[in-house]
Formats: sequence, C-alpha cells, structure tokens
Amino acid sequence: MTGTARERSEAAGASGAGAPPAPPADLRARQPKAVHSALAVLEEVARCGAGVTAQEVSENLRMPRATTYRLINLLVQDEYLVRMPDLRGFTLGRKVVELAHLVVPAPPPQAAVAVVEELRASIRGGVHLVRYESDRMRVVDADPDFPLADERRLHGELDASAMGRLLVAELLSTGTPLPAAISPAVRDSPARLEALCRTVAAEGRAWQLDAFTPGFGCLALPIRGPRGELVAGLTLSAPRVRIEEPGAVLGLLTEGARRLAPLLR
Amino acid sequence: MTALERAIADPAPVAGFGTRSPVDGLQRRSVGFIDVLSQSVSAVAPSAAATTIPILVAVVAGGGTLWALALAMVLSLLVGSTVNQFSRRIAATGSLYTYVSRGLGTGAGFVVGTAMLIGYGFIAMFALAGAGYYVAILVARVWPGAGDSPVLAIGLIAAMALVVLIVIVRGIRLSTRVTLLIETVSVAIILVLVVTLLAHTGPGIDWSAFSLAGSTPATFAVGSVLALTAFVGFESSSSLGVEARRPFAAIPRAIVWTVIVSGSLYLLATYTQIVGFSALGLQLVDSASPVNDLATAYGVEWMGLLLDVSIATSFLACGIASTTALARVLFAMGREGVVPPVFGATHRRFRTPWVAAVVSVPVVAVVPMIAILLGSGLWETMQVLIVVAAAGYITAYALVCVAAPVFLHRIGELTPWAAVRAAAAAALLGVGLVVYLAVEFASTRWVGALLFVLLLAAGCCYYLVRRRRHPWLRDTIGVYDVPVASDVLGGWVGEGAGAGAGDAGRAPAGESGRWD
Repeated sequence: MTGTARERSEAAGASGAGAPPAPPADLRARQPKAVHSALAVLEEVARCGAGVTAQEVSENLRMPRATTYRLINLLVQDEYLVRMPDLRGFTLGRKVVELAHLVVPAPPPQAAVAVVEELRASIRGGVHLVRYESDRMRVVDADPDFPLADERRLHGELDASAMGRLLVAELLSTGTPLPAAISPAVRDSPARLEALCRTVAAEGRAWQLDAFTPGFGCLALPIRGPRGELVAGLTLSAPRVRIEEPGAVLGLLTEGARRLAPLLR
Repeated sequence: MTALERAIADPAPVAGFGTRSPVDGLQRRSVGFIDVLSQSVSAVAPSAAATTIPILVAVVAGGGTLWALALAMVLSLLVGSTVNQFSRRIAATGSLYTYVSRGLGTGAGFVVGTAMLIGYGFIAMFALAGAGYYVAILVARVWPGAGDSPVLAIGLIAAMALVVLIVIVRGIRLSTRVTLLIETVSVAIILVLVVTLLAHTGPGIDWSAFSLAGSTPATFAVGSVLALTAFVGFESSSSLGVEARRPFAAIPRAIVWTVIVSGSLYLLATYTQIVGFSALGLQLVDSASPVNDLATAYGVEWMGLLLDVSIATSFLACGIASTTALARVLFAMGREGVVPPVFGATHRRFRTPWVAAVVSVPVVAVVPMIAILLGSGLWETMQVLIVVAAAGYITAYALVCVAAPVFLHRIGELTPWAAVRAAAAAALLGVGLVVYLAVEFASTRWVGALLFVLLLAAGCCYYLVRRRRHPWLRDTIGVYDVPVASDVLGGWVGEGAGAGAGDAGRAPAGESGRWD
C-alpha cells in the first residue's frame, strides 16, 4: 500500500517537473489526500448550496482553516468553484460538469436498455438496473413508472435495500473493507453481516421487505462479469407478497440477468 | 459524492449573477500565464535596473549593497504574497486601487488609486525618457554629436510614445507579446554581459562582496529602500485580472516569479559589478557607468553597444507595460464614475480601454518633453521622475499591506500567518516610505519628492469634491470582474442583471448597469 503511494508520488513528481502547468498540478503536488479533500470540499459546497463561506466549509468538514482556504482558492483558480459577488460565499462553477464522468455513470448500452424495457413490459412492478464499481453502487436505469422511494437512504444505508445487500455480501465475501454507507447497527454486528452474506450466497439473490415502504419489498439479482465479480444488479420492487413468492417473475428476471451479463462488462 | 452528483445532474438555480461583468468590453480571459508574467517583468524593467540600481545602492549602503538588495527582495516577496491574498480572490483591472477599496473602503482606496496613477504614469514617463536617452546614445555612436540635440531627444520620445499607443490600443495580446519579445532580448543580453564579465574576473566566489564593511544600520536601511525601487512594478499584472486566462492562478504566480527573476538578476549583476571592480583594484561607487567601465577595462567594448540596446529595449517594454496598467486603472475609475465615464469605454474591435490609452499616452510623453524644453537634461529629468514614481508605488504597497488583513477578516478567511506577513510588510514599508521621502527631500532630487506629495494631495482633493457631488461613488468604487451566470453551475439571470433574489442583496450595490 505504502509502496504504491510512494510510486505514485514519484511518478507525479517526475511528470510535474518539466511539464507545462496542467490544471491539477497543484493538487497533485500535495498528493492523493489533497485530491480527496478537494472532492470533499466540492461535495460540501454542493450539499450546502450557493453562498456557503470558506469558514463554514472548514467547520463542517473539520478541516484546518488554512488548508481549507488554500484548497478552496485552488478550486477557484481552476474554476470548479466560483466566488459569489459578495466575495464571501462560494458556489459550484460550470466546470464541475467536467468532473461528471467521474461522478455520474455512463448510461448503459442501448442493448441493455432494450432488455430492461422488455422486462418492464412483461412484469408488473418497478424494474431497475444498478451498477457496482468497487464499493459503490449507482442506479443507472431507474424505472420511470416506479420511482425510487428514498434515494438518499438507498445510498446512505447499503444494508437497507436489496441492491445494497448484494453489494455488501459481495464485499464481505471478497474481504473488501466495507464503505461508510452502512447503518452502524449492522456494521457492528458480525452476526447480522454473516446472515446477510449467507442469504445471498444460498438464494443467489438479495431481498428486503418493508424497509422503504411498508407493504412493499424488493429483490435483486446479481449480474456477474467473466471472473464472477459483481458488475451490476437487476432489481424488482413490488408488493411484499410478490417478493416473498415471485413465482414466474423470478424466471423472467433470471433470464433477463443472463442476457444482460455480456452487455454490461 | 451524492450531493455533487445531484448538483451536476440537476443544478439548483443560483440567482444573483448577471449576464455581463461590470468590466465587460475587455478581451475577457484571453491571455495566458506567460503574457501575464511578461506584463509584470516588463513593468519592473530588470535589465535597466540591474545596470543602474546597484551603483545607486552602493553609493549609500557601501559594503552592504548585496545584502540591501537581498532585503529588498525579501520585502518585495512579502508584499507580493500579501497582494496575492487579493489577486487570488478578486479579478480586477484597477490593481492595488481596487484591492484597497475592497479592504479599507473608498477613501483609502482612492489614495492608493492616486498613488498607482502616479506610480504607473511617472514610471512610464521615466521609461519613455530612458528609452529616448539610450537610443540617442546609440544614434550618437553612428552619428557623433547628435546625442546632445534636444530635437533628437524629443523626436525619439514622440516616436516611442506612438509605438506604445499603437501597441496598447491594438489589443492586450499584442502588447504582452511585444513586451515579452523585447524584454526577453533585453534580459538575454544582460545575462550574456554578466557571464562574460564573470569569465574575465576568473573562477571562484569572492566572499568579500558579501561583507557588510562600511555600512551602518541607517545607511543600510536607506540602501534597502533604494533597492526596493528596482522591484516596483511587480504587481502590475494584477491589472490584467479580466484579460488573463485563469486569473486567480496566473496573476499570483506571475507576481512571485517576477520578484524572484528580477531579484536573482540584480544579485548576480551586483555581485559581478562589485567583484569586477575589486579585481581591478577600483571601487564600484567611483564609477559613473559601471557596466560600461567594466567592459572597457576588460577589453570587451562591444559589450557597451549591446548594453545600450538592452537598456533601451528594457525601457521601451517598461513603457508599454506601465501604460497598459495605467490605462486599466483609469478604465476602472471610468466605469466607477470617479473620472468621466468615457474613460471606461472599450474599443469595439480590439477590446482595449482605448480612450484611457489615448488620453494617458500623450500626457506621459509630453511631461519629459517639456522638461527637456525647459533646459533640463534627459538624465536629470529621469532622476526626478523615478523618485515620484517610486514614492507612489511604496505608498500603495504600504496601504495594500494594511488592507489585506482587514479584507481577509471581512470575508472570514484571515489566517494568522497571512496577518503576520502583511503586518511585517506594512510596518517595514511605512518606515521605508518615511525614510525614502526624507532622503529624497534632502537630495538634489527634492523636486520629485515635492511633486509626489503635491500630486497625491491634489488627487485627494479631487476625490473629496467628486464624492460630495456624487455620493453614489461610495457604492461604485472597487469595481471588479464579477462571475457571470454562464460561469456558474445553475447560474440564473433574473429580471435585470443581478436583480434576482436572495443573494443579490449581498452583491455590491450599483455595480450593474451604471455604464449602460
């Protein structure tokens, strides 16, 4: 781990020496943690909305003031942030859209969309497509007729949703550290984590009941890549009886997941 | 990352931005770092200063010349880093004038505005006169006897002024590129000369050049203030706040690098001159024209010709750069209504403040011409002009260092280290200004010091009268390049620029629409 970090910093130093001053050079010079902090600052400005002051950002993130101000001024230099006309507050610059490829997933390929559409036409209930990247999860095609109930909680408590449970089980089985977005009660209970993991392994799918909307539930089928790694998930949200006893729908979904697998690698 | 994701996917509307900046009309975001750097370096005129300042400092500071220069360099870096507290946050054309207006209010702002107009104006006069003086020397080399003719001097100044005017009206890119070219040639020549001289004096470091012998704390202080005049102008890139691409990155970097580049050149040139003379068994202070004398003594007379070319070109670049900054300060004042609004007009095609340029260049050219017609020699005139300019710069620097912590505190971004640096620089500059004016009043160049005090007083009177007649000036002074809606994610223009809701109330009132 340290070896990689050192290598990366040396590579950055070498390329930074003679190269023309590329926009992120100042960030790179202070190394990966600074990039992380910079993204945290952007995230905080996005969360607080236009007009948030440097002092507020520093306090909210519990970052040293001098560091925060320097980062903010670097982000203003590169126009990811814009200083408001009152000179105190900040807002996101139009240039953050250039970060979109980092934070907004690429849309799924047309062929995959067609498969999902076909499923939606033959199944009553919300059919969503979700993708996984390391310890993160993104809904790339949400069913327009059945909007997601609580997107914030969906991403904030991975253990609550079926699609999140797929990811948690995958992370546990591969020994990858869990991300922060898991409710503390589950995170701190090895028994509950193990139960979650065992269900997914035994049934080949994850499900939840009543977690978001009473009387409703959700089940999620994994879509795996060539080495068996979890790349995506196909989920159905429906009244709880249809989740407990999916019947023929499960066949349709399994067939859909099988057809999606080669399209989503 | 969810909040950022959401903001990008579905930007919340942000009100309070206009479609146009209050300094609209200039070639916004068009010149890169090198252009910005060349603006600052040229305004400093390092080649000309490297050959003329060491002797001036040595006469006062004796053995401590190198140290005095080094102290001036450190002080300039302190000032530069304090100026950068503003230049990282405000993109303006008014340079220190705008900064101080935002920090200490309009009154102090206007004192600095006057000081900057004096600084940029008189340094431009000095540079034009200097370019004329050295071109006249060059002409005299091929046409002996012509050098003393006042007609030639006046004609040369007029020709240079025309060049400056054309260059600065035709576009910011042209003027920064021309100064870059000229200044590079000039610095390259100086470096060749210095290296040639060092080669003649032999290898090894002569440590006696670093001795402090023969200087007292008082003479050392005066020497340092004189040395500071070799650095003035490094902040002038801050007048390109609107025209620079990525101004919050390019301008701070240009300011710091200008001090480092010119300071290193001065230290090297001074060392060479001291060592060169001591190797001959002579004293630097006894020479009238050190580099020329050294060249002759070491049998490389061709260097004299090159040196004159270098200094003349350096002065011409300095003239262009200083007038560029001068025109932009006037332009800001025109937009604010401090001076007639016509000064805020920009050229439709070249996108330069052409009215401010057309008015200021003749003034800048006529002053040295009048001095020559009155029978004063070109060199003597230059000595007085530089005193007026240097006093203007040091006044502005001192006040900007006072303003920086106040400004940072107001926007809630003050850090202890920034405050300490600003306070140290302000204190040193305050003492420096008093010492400088006292020394100059006691010298043969007292006219320059007197002229500065009178001009500053006249500027303040003008401001008081103007303020009484137009109380709204309180709200307009300190105009800068406010981001427009298209810079902002979700930027939204309400009915009428800046008149949206919420945050608009916090925007400096009256900055929109005044020039329409």
